[in-house]
Amino acid sequence: MPPATPESLVTVAPSPAFYASLVLYGAATLLYVVAATQPARWLPSAARFTLLAAFLVHGVDIGWRGVEHVHPGTSVREALGFLSWVMVGGYLFWSWRVRIGLLGAFVAPAALAMLAIARLTPSGEAMHELGTLGRVHISLATLGVAMFALATAVAVMYLAEDRSLKKKQFDNLVLKRGDSLETLDRLSHRLIVIGYPIFTASLLLGIIWVAKRHISGFARPEWLMAGVIWLTFGGLIAGRTARGWRGRRAALLTIAGFAASVAVLGIYLARRALGG
Amino acid sequence: MAAGDVFVVGVSWRTAPVGVRERLAYRDDEVDAALADLVASPDIEEAVILSTCNRVEIYGSCAEPGLAAAAASARSFLARSRGVAAEGLAGHIYERSDEQAIRHLFRVASALDSMVLGESQILGQLKDAYGAAVRAQSAGPILGRSMEKAFQVAKRVRSETGIARGAANVSSVAVELARRVFGDLHGKTVLVVGAGKMSALAARHLHSAGASGILVTNRSPEKAAELATEVDGSAHPWGDLQRLLGEADVVLSSTGAGEPILTVKLVKAAMKVRRWRPLVIVDIAVPRDAEQAIGKIDGVYLFDIDDLEKVVRDNIAERQKEAEAAASLVDGEVAEHRKWLHAQKVVPTIKSLREYFHQVATVEVDRCIRELGKAESPAEVEKAIRRMGELIANKLLHSPMSALKAGEQAEVEKLVEVTNRLFGLQQNGATGEAGSKKRSA
Repeated sequence: MPPATPESLVTVAPSPAFYASLVLYGAATLLYVVAATQPARWLPSAARFTLLAAFLVHGVDIGWRGVEHVHPGTSVREALGFLSWVMVGGYLFWSWRVRIGLLGAFVAPAALAMLAIARLTPSGEAMHELGTLGRVHISLATLGVAMFALATAVAVMYLAEDRSLKKKQFDNLVLKRGDSLETLDRLSHRLIVIGYPIFTASLLLGIIWVAKRHISGFARPEWLMAGVIWLTFGGLIAGRTARGWRGRRAALLTIAGFAASVAVLGIYLARRALGG
Repeated sequence: MAAGDVFVVGVSWRTAPVGVRERLAYRDDEVDAALADLVASPDIEEAVILSTCNRVEIYGSCAEPGLAAAAASARSFLARSRGVAAEGLAGHIYERSDEQAIRHLFRVASALDSMVLGESQILGQLKDAYGAAVRAQSAGPILGRSMEKAFQVAKRVRSETGIARGAANVSSVAVELARRVFGDLHGKTVLVVGAGKMSALAARHLHSAGASGILVTNRSPEKAAELATEVDGSAHPWGDLQRLLGEADVVLSSTGAGEPILTVKLVKAAMKVRRWRPLVIVDIAVPRDAEQAIGKIDGVYLFDIDDLEKVVRDNIAERQKEAEAAASLVDGEVAEHRKWLHAQKVVPTIKSLREYFHQVATVEVDRCIRELGKAESPAEVEKAIRRMGELIANKLLHSPMSALKAGEQAEVEKLVEVTNRLFGLQQNGATGEAGSKKRSA
């Protein structure tokens, strides 16, 4: 049997670090959910440090896979695992600055699910012809989408707080535990501003990559959706700068943009799983 | 005079109507003289006067047997110094001593006895009262330590229970709601529409929470100017309302108008100008100044007086739930402080006992040294040392033995019990420790 080359290896068996991170993400999920409803002061810190441990162990898993020539840009499936890692890292970074502890109850289980899907679902046929350009394209797209995912989580929190205030539900948990509306709005916008140029670069590289491979049919649904994502977030940044779009309108547009990102990811994953 | 007990005498919102409280209240410039008069009384050693709108109390300490006399002295002083007949205070005035007085002090400091449970003002007032007593030299070690402990307990109660959580008055709620939208209020602008007192109070609260500018507008330019001076803001013509809405972040409205002042059209136009930056409108007027549909505009958060009062009610209900935990925390601290107070009562006795033992020992050791100088053989040295031991023992035992022999039957039984307990004596007369050593040898 010939030795495995980087191109032919789409996946390797899950490492012990993967299982450890899975357990830690599960524990963090549990702690965040309990912390959201219980007043004990140690719970939020315990949840945050467990998530940090999960993030570090997950990082070890990604590193180990890199040594085995399976890096985040190797496939969309790998990118999904990387996406969850970047998302958790971003969340941890911002949660030390802004009161978004409640979001942990969504970020931790989302990371758990994404990682499980990335490692435990069928890998489908290998993409032998990816090349460096393709891998960089996937990696950058993943980073961009991770920022959009975080911006979306913050936007959802914004909408929940906005709704509670408008409906005068002052004892609502989100209102009590969340940061102010203006802070959440600013954070969501900042994350989009960070993610957008990265996503734009990935899109340009993707176009070049497709052109190089002489793939016909630019009307593929995932490519069209990528255009929708780019236009949505671009429009949001322009609208905020020129017309002062913010608050609820901005939050809804952020969610719409991210929904399109999820659709693209879903199409890619389904295609890989079906071997298309 | 030995250190003794703590007492408190006074009236509060729980026991006396404002008519009685205001007659008993001390002005700041009257407190020094009153404190001097109190400690001039032979029954009272230390005194602190706490006089606020909700309570007038005299805290004092006195020698142990004189507690009732000291409290009675303070009670009659309170009536006499305020020119009120003592009978007029009957049913309003309360008196607590020892553990009850300490518990009362800790509860007052922790705002558990306040009209608004958990309010923060009382702690500052108590600190001021103690400061005045320190300056007037009417506070000594007992009240001093008790007050310091009360401040510590209050801090613990505030940080370890939810007794002070959430705003408990309408103007503080306005600040809390503005914070939920903006977070930090630094640099935010407040617009006061109308000349209501409540708006002025809320504006001042917002200003002290960091809001940088206060704009005031009113149909009457004179009233606007008057309120602007009062709240350290700037007055603006009524016709500029739309422009002012574009500049402000928080609007406090309390006009006496019969028709809505803040209409959907006006606010929508202002929101366009402010590029949809959030706007908090607190409508305290009755009838209301703002059309209800304004609350549906993106980025506009409209609250009326009922909303604010609901938050106050909810917060106070939450504080009530925490009061039990706070009370048990206070009880624990009272028990600890009581131990300290009791320890203070035996300090003079322990000091005298130590001095007496040292004196006896010194005299006999000196005598022994003189005898040792004359000793010519080891037998004489031994004799001198043994004699010293015997003399010390005899001198120390002289008084207790005389008391044991001379007392009445009941008294002797009590003294025997105390002596056995103090010296750890067994039934056979030997000390427990020495006896056991002998037995083991």
